Amino acid sequence: MACPEFEDRLIEYAAIEGEARACVDTHLAECAECRQFLEALRVVDMELTARFSGREASAALAATVQRRIEREASARRLSFVPEILDFVGWGAIVALLGMMAWWVVPFIPAFNANQTALSLNTALAAGGAFLLVALFIGLRSLADLKH
Amino acid sequence: MPGKVSNINATPASLTGMEREIHACLDQKQYREAFDRMLPEFQNKVFRLAYAMLGEAGAAEDMAQDVFIRIWKALPGYRGQSSLSTWIYAITRNACLSALRKAGIKREVSMEEPGVARIAEETGLTVGGGAAAGIDVLRFLRQLPSKYQQVLRLYYLEEKSYEEVARLLEWPMGTVKVYLHRARKELAEAIARGNI
Repeated sequence: MACPEFEDRLIEYAAIEGEARACVDTHLAECAECRQFLEALRVVDMELTARFSGREASAALAATVQRRIEREASARRLSFVPEILDFVGWGAIVALLGMMAWWVVPFIPAFNANQTALSLNTALAAGGAFLLVALFIGLRSLADLKH
Repeated sequence: MPGKVSNINATPASLTGMEREIHACLDQKQYREAFDRMLPEFQNKVFRLAYAMLGEAGAAEDMAQDVFIRIWKALPGYRGQSSLSTWIYAITRNACLSALRKAGIKREVSMEEPGVARIAEETGLTVGGGAAAGIDVLRFLRQLPSKYQQVLRLYYLEEKSYEEVARLLEWPMGTVKVYLHRARKELAEAIARGNI
């Protein structure tokens, strides 16, 4: 253990100069423990300098970061193809149901009474069905985007 | 453009030329250009700060990558509340602290614990007379409280600049000096003790 009155000055030995340095040097000449402490400080400084000084990030860091950003960006890029396919599929189902209704309705006596009203109702029903399908697909897309 | 409100607040005069360029890009929402300038400018600082905090070069390298991905994602939200470097170092510190917490390796060894001294006694290390090469100072370093480890590593990584250590860790200069002083004393005592 270094002498308590010299310990701080030994830790800052490299920074002290003049009279203070001369005082420490005089003490070091006659105190083996303080000499040993100063030598240990020198070893610490030397080893840590050798280990850490001048350390830099690897040359590949920037390129790796850029690659990761590109990868994440392409993964996040939106595709509307599934939504379009959804729309086509649901549109086909609705069209098929509409055709079936068109084929069945003339056999129902109540509907034969007023063909004009029937045409109007059918057009409204088809339009409504398409709106519902579009709304459903829109909500699904929104949920996907949020996810 | 007259009347246009700048995205980034007035840039402080203390900014470096590169930081001004980055601010100009951000002001025009040119995030890619800003990031491309930022990456080479800050990669070593971010790496060293991560190395000082995590204690391993490999982990620091991975962390530096993650930090820059975070910066890239957060860039549109940067409003210039603090300087760019302060913002980047804060992201780095937070990411490192999260990683340390997650990994459960944030050890706070008490200064009263004889961890460092015990290693010296067990290994019978000697100082002087050319024996210094046999001393594994890093092993002693790892026994210190984490804040002492961080400050010591960063001090040597940053070429012994107290100012840089204080800036990167965002600690007062006095704290940095006190921690460095205590850490050096602790290490030197432990190593010297092996020879007494």
